[in-house]
Parts: sequence; structure tokens; C-alpha cells
Amino acid sequence: MLEIRFHGRGGQGTVVATILLAKAFFRAGYYVQSFPLFGVERRGAPVEAYLRLDEDHIWVRTNVYQPDHVVVMDKTLLQGIDVTMGLKPGGWILINTSSIPPNSEQFSRYRLAVVDATRIALRHRLGTRTHPIVNTAMMGALARMLEMPPLEAISKAVEEEIPVRPEQNIQAAKDAYDEVQLVGLTGPELQSSAG
Amino acid sequence: MKQVLEGSHAVAEAVRLARVNVISAYPITPQTHIVERLSDFCADGRLDARFLRVESEHSALAALIGASSTGVRTFTATSSQGLALMHELLHWASGARLPIVMAEVNRALAPGWNIWTDQTDSLAQRDTGWMQLYCETGQEVLDTTLQAYWLAETVNLPVMVILDAFFLSHTYEPVDIPSQEQVNGFLPDYQPRFQLDTRNPCAFNQLAPPNVYMEMRHNIQQAMDQVLSRFGQMEDGFGVVFGRRYGEVEPLQCDDAQIILVTSGTITSTSRALQQQLRADGERVGLLKIKLFRPFPADAVRRILGGAQKVAVIDRNCSFGAGGIFAQEVRAALCNLSARPLVFSYIAGLGGRDVTLDVLKLIYRHTKDCEHCPDDSIWMGLHEVHHAT
Amino acid sequence: MAQDMTMKMIPLFIPRSHVSTAGNKTGSWRFLRPRYDEKTAPCSAACPAGEDIGRIAMLTAQGLFKEAWEAILKENPLPGVCGRVCFHPCEPACNRGEFDEAVAIHTLERFLADTAARYQLQADLERRSPRKQRVAVVGAGPSGLATAYFLTRLGYRCDVFEATPEAGGVLRWGIPSYRLPVAVLRREIEQMRRTGFEIRCNRRLSREFLQEAGATYDAVYLGCGHAKIPFLNIPGEDLEGVTDGLSFLQRVNRGDEPRLTGRVAIIGGGNTAVDVARTSLRLGAKPVLIYRRRRADMPAFPDEIQMALEEGVELLELRTVQRIDRAGEEYTLTLRQVPVVNCAAAGKACVQAVPQECERLAVSKVFRAIGLTAAESWFDPPPNENRVIRLNNSVLAYADGAPIIAYGGDVANPIKSVVHAVASAKEAAIALDITFQEGAEAIGERMKHCRVGGGSALSMEIHMQGPRCRRSDHVVAFDEINADYFELSPRIVQPRLLKEERIDSFAEIELKISANLAMREAERCFNCGLCNQCDNCRLFCPDLAVVKDADSGRHINYDYCKGCGICVVECPRNAMALEEENQTQMNTAEEGVHGRLT
Repeated sequence: MLEIRFHGRGGQGTVVATILLAKAFFRAGYYVQSFPLFGVERRGAPVEAYLRLDEDHIWVRTNVYQPDHVVVMDKTLLQGIDVTMGLKPGGWILINTSSIPPNSEQFSRYRLAVVDATRIALRHRLGTRTHPIVNTAMMGALARMLEMPPLEAISKAVEEEIPVRPEQNIQAAKDAYDEVQLVGLTGPELQSSAG
Repeated sequence: MKQVLEGSHAVAEAVRLARVNVISAYPITPQTHIVERLSDFCADGRLDARFLRVESEHSALAALIGASSTGVRTFTATSSQGLALMHELLHWASGARLPIVMAEVNRALAPGWNIWTDQTDSLAQRDTGWMQLYCETGQEVLDTTLQAYWLAETVNLPVMVILDAFFLSHTYEPVDIPSQEQVNGFLPDYQPRFQLDTRNPCAFNQLAPPNVYMEMRHNIQQAMDQVLSRFGQMEDGFGVVFGRRYGEVEPLQCDDAQIILVTSGTITSTSRALQQQLRADGERVGLLKIKLFRPFPADAVRRILGGAQKVAVIDRNCSFGAGGIFAQEVRAALCNLSARPLVFSYIAGLGGRDVTLDVLKLIYRHTKDCEHCPDDSIWMGLHEVHHAT
Repeated sequence: MAQDMTMKMIPLFIPRSHVSTAGNKTGSWRFLRPRYDEKTAPCSAACPAGEDIGRIAMLTAQGLFKEAWEAILKENPLPGVCGRVCFHPCEPACNRGEFDEAVAIHTLERFLADTAARYQLQADLERRSPRKQRVAVVGAGPSGLATAYFLTRLGYRCDVFEATPEAGGVLRWGIPSYRLPVAVLRREIEQMRRTGFEIRCNRRLSREFLQEAGATYDAVYLGCGHAKIPFLNIPGEDLEGVTDGLSFLQRVNRGDEPRLTGRVAIIGGGNTAVDVARTSLRLGAKPVLIYRRRRADMPAFPDEIQMALEEGVELLELRTVQRIDRAGEEYTLTLRQVPVVNCAAAGKACVQAVPQECERLAVSKVFRAIGLTAAESWFDPPPNENRVIRLNNSVLAYADGAPIIAYGGDVANPIKSVVHAVASAKEAAIALDITFQEGAEAIGERMKHCRVGGGSALSMEIHMQGPRCRRSDHVVAFDEINADYFELSPRIVQPRLLKEERIDSFAEIELKISANLAMREAERCFNCGLCNQCDNCRLFCPDLAVVKDADSGRHINYDYCKGCGICVVECPRNAMALEEENQTQMNTAEEGVHGRLT
């Protein structure tokens, strides 16, 4: 079973991203489960959502405490929240940012991937100039990072579920798929052990 | 067709497939997604029903009591404070023998404000004459809603279909949405045994003096008793069409079990994972899921638990001054057996606190290690609190 | 279906009854009995013309403007005039005044008259078949014209004789057009004339007419008004340039608008004095009103005084004019201050002259405008005699072999106002009608039934046996209204010309209001004592004993009315009554008529 934790802010489409990914993975043959850590969040407040996938039926119905991977929808969250909490060593951290964070030592036990999803969302006019909706771009980046689900499954899920600008959303996912930088392991000891 | 569906939307799909005629509800988190989806169905014509907007949950149920009296299929959904506000009319609906179906999303009662899951809201209504069915998965929620109409209309009593807030109501997972033909094959059109009809005027629910009131109440009890036998009949019919059955209770490897965990709702799911692990470790542990709480399936509970050494009932609820409510019912069911297991009562996960595999392991370990079974409930994982002075 | 088979085995015992509750005649429990009982609104009782104001407002609120206008015309043929110049004693009596603010009744009255004029509506009023008696009316002022109007509707032939070239009396010659445009008056005179009487203008009659009239007429109505301003009895008041204010107003109303300059003095405190002041202001003068008591004691309407002061009229209170002297074009008034020595709680201030305290006022012109009197002595009613009947607003004198002489209008009224002129016309017309039909002895008893709320105002509709007969004369008090049914809502603000616009012309000051505003204002009316079909009685009846009739009226089914009285309590306007059962039982036969409201 694979568990992925998403960190975002209210209004960025974080919960929708987990649902669409659940649908895309389901389409790709997985059993899935996705749900938000529900608070009373409004626009801008930090939110968390989870995605579980497995080849078999998933029984566990608890929050995710030891995710295999983490997705960070907004780089400003890195200051307030320990996004690596419970993250399994060697897991991916996908961050929406225009540059690799300078203090990437804190991610030394993990594999780092970055994508400028904000720029991609603005390019395709998703959301507003002040509040771009980055979820579909992040989905595309995740698909490249994990080498699953297939981009077609994501396109299909977007097509079925997003009534507003579906083509642009699909294109954003594709752009992110192409543009994501898979930095990989940053810490020396893991680099060597993996090397 | 299998789809990744939210638990709330699974309820809405079932209501659509049940061809409900009148819906009335008042929004409250975490129930709102159910009626939002239903209002979409009414608006886009996928469901030909009247959606009555009202100013409170009390009015929502009042509206349905009126609608149901005319002999049509009705639905409402609520949660927590909303259900509490309905209390008066819950009695009315059952006393009037109206087959109303309600989705009840378990949410904690305030204060302090808490929107997360907790069964005390629905269990506090256990004496209102409504059937109560607790669900574990999105699929079960959809199926149980369809079954609820069958049961309600068969015995003329209302039903609550109960699901955990967020862990079920807001969780997306694969759910098979049946076709309308399949559903029609299981759930025929509603044929009311009485109804308001201008061609045959009559008055309902007027004065019932002491010389008849008691008989009317006895009648409700008799109807509730019938549910236990009808449940199997209903599931047979359901199984023919859908190939699934749940049982009013579901025992998992209980026959040879020394310790049996008793659960309801989504705690059951995680408990299944634990039970598998423990069995793999060689522990003789069973799991009993209680789906039907009202009427309480005491016979089945006695049969399944009677032979175990210890029973651990996990309650996500509390009747203050008495403890876990499922535990009370289980103990009451077992009390007249000459040889009976020790029944441990655990309270866990109130107000949405996560009941993780670790918590469940702790419960199992405690039950196994403890020689003397305490009468009181054991509260799991309490934090240290600084009391207000 | 398997389900059907098993259903019968499921126990289902619920309270259910197919028996109708119609068999339970709850009326047998009744010891109190509600009935429809329309009453009198305080505004109607306070209106000298007894207008059915509650009903007029109700019709207005429903947008039935013609019907509302006709409801006024039943009692008062001068709504356009009264809507403008009446001092509206109805409004202080309005129960709504105890809730928030009185309804702007005069604004509604004027709106209805203006609406009728705008759409050139013709009133459909009830008229009796012709009678043989003829009446001569002397003076085409408001009381004379209204007398002819009422008598014609009662079936009598009337001829009106007027000394001046045009009908209207004080309304035509004495009231400036910024208060009452001539066109409004002319339209209402025409409306009255169309009921079927003749007005002969330029016919100045002499005292001998009273003797000669017997040949043609059975009665003569004298409504010659107060058209003479008495002298002040001070030195210098006969100087040229010291003018009678009423003649001045007449001259201006004829169309002659002389330019005035400098200060002009107006001596007096009545409406004529204020009218003269405001008129002279419009002609270029700087008017000073000189009044011997305080402003609060002035007989002029307070609103008029207020507007005059706003426009720039100066007021010198507590001064008497000792003498007037002339030096070239200038007049000097010698004024003496008269301080208040004693102020009775409700009465006018008592003043006492202080001989030494004199002041002088130089002006270019002086107007006399103190209390008016009749122009000829024979216009006034005779002193009390055997065969003189003195009513509230009119006097009737009977003599063998001569026509009955009726005196009305200013000569017989305690208060000189248009609405009192209408009141005295109605009183005289009803008195003459009773005299002609039943003899003078019947006047007292018969007139009692026409009194609105038992007061001095009379209703022609009641006299003519219209539906208003059914009203009880109980005047509804504020605490008898169920105020829970009304929301606070401010009274309409009467739109007026700006002060700057006013003082430059004779254009009418008070502006028209829209139908929307009028309806909103009319909705504020409590309709005290009247049923406005709100249906509360029916909706609240726990026994469905209030039945709506096909004609949208209601009646009470006493088979089921248990006398709980909820209908009476929930009637917002007190149009119902609750009485002890045995008291009203004998009236049951009448319920068919009285109890049905349509």
C-alpha cells in the first residue's frame, strides 16, 4: 500500500487533486482511498489530504501518519509546517516552487522534486492572477515523479470531473509532467547507499 | 458500474435509485454533501422529486411526516445538533408508523464545537422507534440506503442509515453504482398500507387514551421484533440482484476465538486489518461487526459471543454515567447466559480522534492481559488535562 | 409480490378515524358569542364633515382610487379644496398617532381629488328620486354650494344666487392661489353643479328676497359668509393706503398683482392676516404681522404661520396698534407692548396694555385683517325665538306662510373653516329634508342616527341609509387596536416647493405625490373598527367556524363557534365584538344583515 500526503492551502484545489488522482489511479487498476483531514479551513489556511493506493482492498480507515510521499502545493508552507513528519526515508517530496529551496538539507533523507506549478497555472489562466489553482499541474508532476498513473488516466479524470477549462487543466498537467525537476536524493549518506 | 465515489455521494446515488418522491433537509456539516448532490439531481431532472427547503431540521422532518402520510417515499439527512433538534419528531415518525429514511452522519455534539465523528448523536436517539443501521464502507452506505427503504416499508417504521463523519462521509473509494433496473428488481414501488387521500378522508394520530395507547406501543415493539426475521429475507432478495450481503451482524473468525473485538462503523475496517495481523501472529482473535443496532440483534450476539472468553467492545460514544453504549447492549444480551464471556468496555475516538491500529492493538493487549474485567468503561488514550479552576 | 403477502402480518395499529368531526357541534359549548361589529374610527368622528376616513384609506391602499374618491364625495363635495386648505382635525385624533405618527389624511384626500381630476373621473353617487320642494341658496361659497349639492342628491331642486361674477366665495376670492389653485376649485364646483342645480352669478339679492321667495321656494338657505373686515377703532385707520386685507386678496385673486415695496404692516392674527402677509411678500414687500397676543394664540393654522415665517414674514407679538400716521408715502404705526399677565392653561394669554411703552414702526402700507363679520346684518341668524332651531352648525327659522330660512356657513359656525362650511351645509340639508318629509319635530330624533360616533359630525350616507348605517357609533380607542399586527413606519413627508421658489410666485406650494406613496401612506391606516378582509378571523378560528362567502364576505357558523373569542382578539382593527351569549341571542335574526361583511 502506498500512502501520499498532500499539504496545501484552502482554495488551491488540494482536496480535488487527491480525488482526481484517486480516480486516475483507480482507472489505472488500483484500489484507492482519498480523504481530507477535515478542519474548518477557509481560503489560505493550511489543509491536508491523503491518498492511499493498493492492488488489494484497503481496510485501514485512519489518517496517514507515515506517508510514502509528500506533495507540497505551496512553498510558503515549508516555513510553518514540518512537511517531512513521518515521511518514510527515501520518499519523494514534490514542492511547487520556482527554485530548489536553499535549505534543502532538511530534505536530505528524501528525494526532492520541484515544479513551478504556479507559473504553469498562470500560463493556462487557471484560477485568478492572485490565486492560481495549481492542482492539475501538481498532478502532472506527481505522475512523472512516481511514473504513475499514466498521463492519459489523469487527462481522463480531469475531463470527467473539472467543468471549468478542462483543456487548459490537462495541458497544465502535461506541462508540469515535462517541466518537473527530479532532483532526487540530496543527502550524502543516502546518495551513497542508493548509488 | 464501479466509480470512485465519496461516501456522501453514495447515499445520494441510492436515494436517486430508490426513486424517492420528497426530500427535505437542512444543511449541516458533515451531512451537507448528501443533500447538495440530491438537490443537483432534482435540479437537473435525474431525480423526479420535490426538494423542500426548510428553516430547520425539526421542520425538515415535520415536512416529511406530512409527505410520508400521503403515501410517498421520503428522505432526509442530518447530523449531530440537527438530529438532536429533530428529537420530538423522531418519536412522531415512528409512532405514526411512517417509513421515512434518514441518512445520519455521526458527528460529535457541542459544546465545544466539534464537527468530527462520534456516535453519541445517533445512539442518543436509540429509544425513538427508528431502526438504526451502522455502515462501514461507501458501498455499504449505498446498499444499506436501498435496504432501508425495503425494511421501512415492510414493517412501517422509519430507518436511520448511519455513517461516520469524514472517515466515511468524505472519503472517496471505489463504489459500484447499480443500474436502475437492478434496483427496481430489489425495491418495488412503495405501496402504502395507509395514506391521506381526499377521496377517502380520514384523520391520523389523534387522541389515544390509556385504553389504546399501550396497545399501539406494543405494536411498535412487535414490528421491531419482526425486523430481525425480515432482515435475512431482505438480504436474500438483495443478494439475488447484487450478489452481496452484510448481515445484521458480521462475525469474522469468531468460532474458535478466545477474544472477540466488537465494533461498528469505520473502526471495523481498521479492526479487520488488525485481526488479520493478529491471526497471522497466531492469536485466536475474532471480530464482530454490529450493523443493526435497533432492533438489537441480541440472539445473534449471544450465539456469536457466548463461547468466547473475553469480549472487547469498542465504543465511539458515551452515555455519561453508564459508559459505552454498545457495551451496555452486549452485556445485556449476554447476562442471562449461564456461562458467558467477560465483556470489556472501551471508549475511543470521541470527537473524531483517530482510532489507529496502535490504539486497537493496545485494546487487544489490555483485554488479553487483564485478569479482572472492570465494570466501568476504559477510556483509551486520554491526554493529561489542565483543569479549569 | 412477496412483500405484499408478508405485509399483512406486520402489526400496524395507529390512531386513525374515518368519522367526520362535523358531528361534534362545538357551538353547544358557547357562552360568549363573537359577531362582526364594525365601529367608528376616531378620525371620522373628529372630521366635521364626518368623512369615512378609515374606509377611504382602505380603498386607497387597495388602489381603488375612484371608489375612495367617491367615498369622500358622499360626505364632502370638496376633497380637492379640503385636501389643501382644511386644518385636518382628523389627524390629531388618529389612533396611529399613539403608535408612531398619525396618518397623513389630508395628503391622501388631496391625492384622490387630484387623481380624479387627472383622469377626469365622473362620480357615480346615489341620488334620491325628485321631490316637489324647491330651495333657494343665497351665496355660492362652500356652504351654499355644498347645501345645493346635498339637497339635489336628496331630490330637491335648488337655485344658487351669487353676488360676484364667479362662484366659490371665500375659496375663490379669499384664499391665495399658492394654497388653492383656482382650477382645483372650478373643477369641484363643476362637479357639484353637475348633480343638477343652477348657479346664477352677478345676482346680488336684497333683504326683500326673503319675502318674495315664498312664491317659488319652500326654503331659503343663507350662506353669505363673513366678508367684511371691521374697523379697529383707532386714529388713522381711514387714511388712504390703509387697506382692508380681504379686498386686497380679492384684487390679487382677480388677477391684479400690484408691485409692493418696503415694509408693509398687517394687523391681525387669523388666516386672512397670514394670507395677506404671504401674498404681499410675493408682490415684493417685506411684511410685518402685528398681533396682540402670542404666536401660540393666533387663530391662523400653525402650519401656515410656520411657512410664513420661513418665507420671511416678520411677526410682532403682544402689540396693539395705537394710531396710524401718514407722512408722504410713509405710514407710522404707534405700537404698544402688551405683556402677558395671566396665562390660563388651555386658553389664550391675557394681556394688559402698558401705557408708557410705545414704539414706532414705519411702513409703506397697512392692511387691516382682524376677525371678519357678515357684510349685511340680515345675513346673520335671528336671535333665539320660539320657532328658531339652533343646531350645531346651522340655524333654521320657521314662520307661517313663509319659506323656512336656514342659516349656515360662517354666520352659524363656531369655527370658520371650509370643512365647517360643509358640515353646516350637510346639517341644514338633512334638517330641511327631515322637515319636508316628517316635519320639524322629527329633526332631533332622526338626526341622532346620522351622528358619526355620536358626535356633532353627520353622515349623509347614514341619512340616505347606505351601508354605513350598520356601523356602531362606538369610537375605537388605540388600546382597542391589536397593534401587534402593525409595523412602525414613518409618515409621508409632504413634498413642497423650496422657500426660494415659493416667494417668487403664486405657484402652489404643496406638490403632488405618486400613487405608490399614497398607497403606502394609506396602508399605514389602522382602519379602526373596519373590516379590511385580512381574514385573520377565519385563519385563527380553531373550529373552522368562520365561513368565507362567495361574495368575499364572511359569516360565523354558530353550530361550531364555541365562543373562544380568538377571532375577536386577533382582529387587528376591532371590527368584531364578543358578547355574552344570552344578550345577543335575540339579535340572531339580524346577524344575516349585520354580521355579514362584504
